[in-house]
Amino acid sequence: MKKILSLISMILILLLAACGGGNSDISDENADTDGDETGGTELSFIAYSNYEAPLEAVIEDFEAENPNITVKLELAPFEQLMETIEIKMGSKSEDVDLLFVDSPLAVNYALKGYLEPLDSLMSPDIADAWVDSAVDGVTFQDQMIAAPMNSSSQVLYLNKDIFEEKGVPLPKENERLTWEEIIEIAEQLTYDSNGDGQNDVFGFSFDQIDRAYQLLALSDSLDAEMVSENGLEATGYTNSPEAVEAFQFYSDLFNKYGVSPRIDRAESIDYFISGKIAMYLGANHNLPKLEESDLNYGVSLHPYFAKGEVATPTGAWNVGISKYSKNKEAAAKFLAYLTTGEGAKTVFEIGGTLPVANELLDFIETDPMYDEFPNNIIRISATESRETAVPRPKTPGYLEWETNMNGAFKNIKNGTDPQEALNQAASEIDNLLKKYEEAVE
Amino acid sequence: MMTVKNKWVPYLFLLPAFAGLLLFKLYPIISALLQSMHTLEFLTQLVRFVGFENYVSLFNDPVFWNSLKVTLWFNLWINPFQITLAFGLALLLNTGIKQITFFRGINFIPVAVSVPTAAILWKIMLSPEQGVVNSILVALGMSPQPFLESSSQALASIVAIASWKGVGYWALFLLAGLQEVSPSLYEASSMDGASKWQQFKSVTYPMMKRPLTFVVVSVTVANMLLFAPMYILTKGGPNQSTNVLLLESYNSAFLYSDMGRATAIVVIMLVITAIIVAIEFRILRAKH
Repeated sequence: MKKILSLISMILILLLAACGGGNSDISDENADTDGDETGGTELSFIAYSNYEAPLEAVIEDFEAENPNITVKLELAPFEQLMETIEIKMGSKSEDVDLLFVDSPLAVNYALKGYLEPLDSLMSPDIADAWVDSAVDGVTFQDQMIAAPMNSSSQVLYLNKDIFEEKGVPLPKENERLTWEEIIEIAEQLTYDSNGDGQNDVFGFSFDQIDRAYQLLALSDSLDAEMVSENGLEATGYTNSPEAVEAFQFYSDLFNKYGVSPRIDRAESIDYFISGKIAMYLGANHNLPKLEESDLNYGVSLHPYFAKGEVATPTGAWNVGISKYSKNKEAAAKFLAYLTTGEGAKTVFEIGGTLPVANELLDFIETDPMYDEFPNNIIRISATESRETAVPRPKTPGYLEWETNMNGAFKNIKNGTDPQEALNQAASEIDNLLKKYEEAVE
Repeated sequence: MMTVKNKWVPYLFLLPAFAGLLLFKLYPIISALLQSMHTLEFLTQLVRFVGFENYVSLFNDPVFWNSLKVTLWFNLWINPFQITLAFGLALLLNTGIKQITFFRGINFIPVAVSVPTAAILWKIMLSPEQGVVNSILVALGMSPQPFLESSSQALASIVAIASWKGVGYWALFLLAGLQEVSPSLYEASSMDGASKWQQFKSVTYPMMKRPLTFVVVSVTVANMLLFAPMYILTKGGPNQSTNVLLLESYNSAFLYSDMGRATAIVVIMLVITAIIVAIEFRILRAKH
């Protein structure tokens, strides 16, 4: 009987041990083989799926130069990217070496201890390779916590055929319309093309519908601050009269004038390419996709409110090294390759994204290749990003802020009163930001 | 000596099941309970014991109360709706017409579609911009509806989608139960002159209590924990109208880095579900 008893307890103990300590044991084993110099190092890189093509090209070149390092991409669509990072990093997963870092989240990730500061891993003068604004975005407590990879801006793409069909003069390439003018033109370009009683061609659409990244340009044009100085309060800022006025305009696009389709972000580019949208305020990196299509399109500058200032969205993708990575040296080597020199050039050329490397920006500014349409879109974006871009609000709880704001924007699009939607979002955000109070002090 | 040994044999056979229960049921519950009493400090990365602080802050949080209300309201509608439909479907599928197996096959198709696929398909069909459902409504002379984009219709739309997917599955269990009811009982009751309704009331329903209990409890648990459609279709919106507790818990854990709050919500849900299931067992207790 004793034997059986001890057998039972042994099995139980074994099971419990397997359950409690299993994870770390397995990761340790992996880490050992990964770090093995002779066997080569495999880096795991959590990245946004839109960047698959440029990243794969960079990885191929990098692996050719560094035969004992391989880089494995772990791709996630935008909607899931932040969650993937939270889940992996929140569980201190050791199988992540590199990860995408959205600029406004850099501080948040640093506070949560997700990122390894780069100063000790990369050469000290590497920061000179990038424009200052990009470096500022990833500096926390005087340390660089991620390396800037690219930036973005928005231009107003125009469907020339719709303008021609409706006899509306096409805005010029260097012309900056006001939002008031946009409405006026958009109303003329919204119509029912197949006679089913529902409008199916729309005058205007944002690219990133319901997304703070793009819609902040509205409130920035009216000079509305979104959070308090210390980044911990939204009430009084996110729902200020200026903010409400700006997002009332967003609501009117759908609910008053009906010039924008009530679709999701993922659908917007296809709507534009298939000729259902006349004016499309979209990211510069849509260019490769538009060039692939047979759309007859033109371009103009980002609009602003007549009584306000010119403000355009900006936001960079950066890449950081996980604090829990076992291969930080190899990761730093790849990171330097990706974000400077040849790697940065490949990302720019294949991805069509706006670079942050000074070398490439100077090239765009001076090379005659960028004088003509459509390549001038890149130059316009580069100029906007340096002259009119307003960075997103600085708060340690940017993810909380953005998630709730994106929800509020969606509600506003669907007819909720902007004041009501923003009040609710602000109070929810305030609640969520409380947990950062200690960390910020 | 032999008898003592024999006494332990049944326990030995039970051991794997007990170990499984302990490992996969009790351990996570206890772990959640403990986690819900802790909070993570940023910067230091220290986990600090805070007692019931997470629960207190939940009870002071209007978002939590709204989610609780949405969860209960959702279950109040979807559970009776699904069970009634499943029972009706099971009765229909139990009829003796030719090719009944064909209909039973059709009935099972939505079950075989995964939740994300079903959710995305329905999202496309219910789209306010040129979705097929609205096209049908317009063709029939009705006005188009916002469905998932409206706070007054989103929850009902999810009830419909989840039921489209779930009813066929639950009907299968009830169908199995119906086929277990002995035909002699119907014969005897019809000889006594019982009408179809009286047969249903006095034969079918009492004989179905066991499978029905199983279905009622399973449906309740499944729907209390349902969150994939909300996650995929509405993200809890519009205006928090579909923000069920499990979604709020998920967001707390994986968006807002607040594992303590997330697990506190899960523990509260566990208690609520247990209470509801206990009541259901009591009401549906078979008398035979």
